[in-house]
Amino acid sequence: MSHPIETENLRKVYKLGKRKGDRIAVDSLNIAVPEGAVFGFLGPNGAGKTTTIKMLLDFVHPTSGSATIFGNPTSAASSRRLIGYLPEQPYFHKFLRPIEVVSMHASLAGVPRKEVRQHSISALERSGIAEYSDTPIGKLSKGLTQRVGIAQAIVGDPKLLIMDEPTSGLDPIGRRHARDLILQLRDEGRTIFLSSHLLSEVESTCDIIAVLKRGKLVAMGKPDDVQAKGKQVTIQVDTLTDETKASLKFAKVGIEEEAGAIRLCVAPEMLYWVIRMLEKSGAKILRLQTERESLEEAFLRLAA
Amino acid sequence: MAGIWIIAKMSLLENSRKQVFHVMCLLMLAVIAGSTLLTIFTDGVQTKILKDLCMTCLLFGGAAMAIALGATGVPNDIESRTIHPLLARPLTRVQYLIGKFLGTFITVSLGVAAMTVVFGALIMMYQHSIDSSLGLAVLFTLLEAAIIAAVAITISTFASPAITTVLTFMIYLAGTIKIGYIGELIEKSQAGLSKGLYLLIYHALPNLECFNLKSALVHQEIIPGLYLSQVAVYGICYIAFTLVVGASYFASREV
Ligand SMILES: Nc1ncnc2c1ncn2[C@@H]1O[C@H](COP(=O)(O)OP(=O)(O)OP(=O)(O)O)[C@@H](O)[C@H]1O
Ligand SMILES: [Mg+2]
Repeated sequence: MSHPIETENLRKVYKLGKRKGDRIAVDSLNIAVPEGAVFGFLGPNGAGKTTTIKMLLDFVHPTSGSATIFGNPTSAASSRRLIGYLPEQPYFHKFLRPIEVVSMHASLAGVPRKEVRQHSISALERSGIAEYSDTPIGKLSKGLTQRVGIAQAIVGDPKLLIMDEPTSGLDPIGRRHARDLILQLRDEGRTIFLSSHLLSEVESTCDIIAVLKRGKLVAMGKPDDVQAKGKQVTIQVDTLTDETKASLKFAKVGIEEEAGAIRLCVAPEMLYWVIRMLEKSGAKILRLQTERESLEEAFLRLAA
Repeated sequence: MAGIWIIAKMSLLENSRKQVFHVMCLLMLAVIAGSTLLTIFTDGVQTKILKDLCMTCLLFGGAAMAIALGATGVPNDIESRTIHPLLARPLTRVQYLIGKFLGTFITVSLGVAAMTVVFGALIMMYQHSIDSSLGLAVLFTLLEAAIIAAVAITISTFASPAITTVLTFMIYLAGTIKIGYIGELIEKSQAGLSKGLYLLIYHALPNLECFNLKSALVHQEIIPGLYLSQVAVYGICYIAFTLVVGASYFASREV
């Protein structure tokens, strides 16, 4: 069985004109999204996330390399049969109503005519926009339009959802709702490919993450693997003699002093040695804490 | 096939809510108001002028709608990115473009049909009968509008709405005067580059004059069936050819 998404040396160079030269938006991207996973596609602004998604959907053509959706090349319209797509800041014809847009997408996705209405209503309900289903889209707020986008993406039973920043524009309740929805969709056996900068969210929903930086993949794996393994131990002490300080520094122990508090950042394997040093010098240990790099720190470390 | 219809339906729905029919209403009101001035003429002249006025309005209204909707439909979808969710479906670019064309054409047809009903009633009032050729004249007006819409949509796949509008309008004008004016240019010019150029333009331009059955309607002439069927085939082929050109470019462009 082929992967829902697979890319091979995918590369996109935008030509900006003679004088400005070229911009490499995506460079030699190799990813494989396993079936049934929530795949988080991370990266700072301009990293090439949207460009990658546009290549997956054949809106723009790769400069070189290739991508497949369930084994079909992206250039074939049939590769999009199993996809639901939520664009970045979705727009719809503003005179149309949510129910009309969602019904149209249900039909395009191949839902039998008799079931279109029922499918559409249930998609609107799942996205929390049912009460606005007859309001022209031009009169909906940004977050409500985002929800219409989610509704049209999930209608028609897609096996793969490609969502470009699914929670952008949503309030905290909407975000929580969207996150729960994504997990529900995964539990129904669908594969979800989402791009995001909201790391706390990605951490709690994604099974696999990939971090993109200037078009290049800099990390990929389970969130735990991407986060630095070496947990650090922070020791707060009351005083530190100059002599101890010098030998600690010599052993490359990080020392932070601020507002009278002295903190030592120690790698786990050095812990015993440091504690013995402190004991000898008569320093009192006030606090001892293990710290683990958050995904946000990992993101900043990888993407900076 | 289903995809084409869905896009056409959506585009019709969208267009019809864009208040495009208001233009038609204005035109109709103008003609109705103008017709009250006809009382200064004798009966025979009255109906002739009225029919001329109505047909001109139908032609003009249909062409104006075809240009306005055809030139903006696709570029607006790209500009506002409303095209993205659509193309993310198993829909080919060709199906999308044909759907857009059909949607535009159906919108124009509805507008022209509404005008026809009003004008028919007006002619009925003055003439106490309806010419059988009115239906034919309207059908061929629609065919002409369809050609203009196809040209506009094809140009709009690579040009902005403003440029498309101007270009299509120029082609519309040139197509209307083609036989008389450019034909004369060809006859006058010597063989060579300019003659070749004129010939190329001559054959690439749609011959729109042949769809205009106004004088036949006004003078109550009979139009030979063979001529009509030839013109119809010509129109349909021209539309198909134009859309093939547009679709093959559109299929390869980035959106
Ligand atoms: N049509 C285009 N023409 C030229 N350059 C483009 C085009 N689209 C994107 N780019 C450039 O390609 C790079 C990647 O853009 P992309 O939209 O993929 O970033 P992104 O990761 O989605 O960012 P964000 O988080 O802000 O949405 C950027 O430098 C952008 O300026
Ligand atoms: Mg983006």
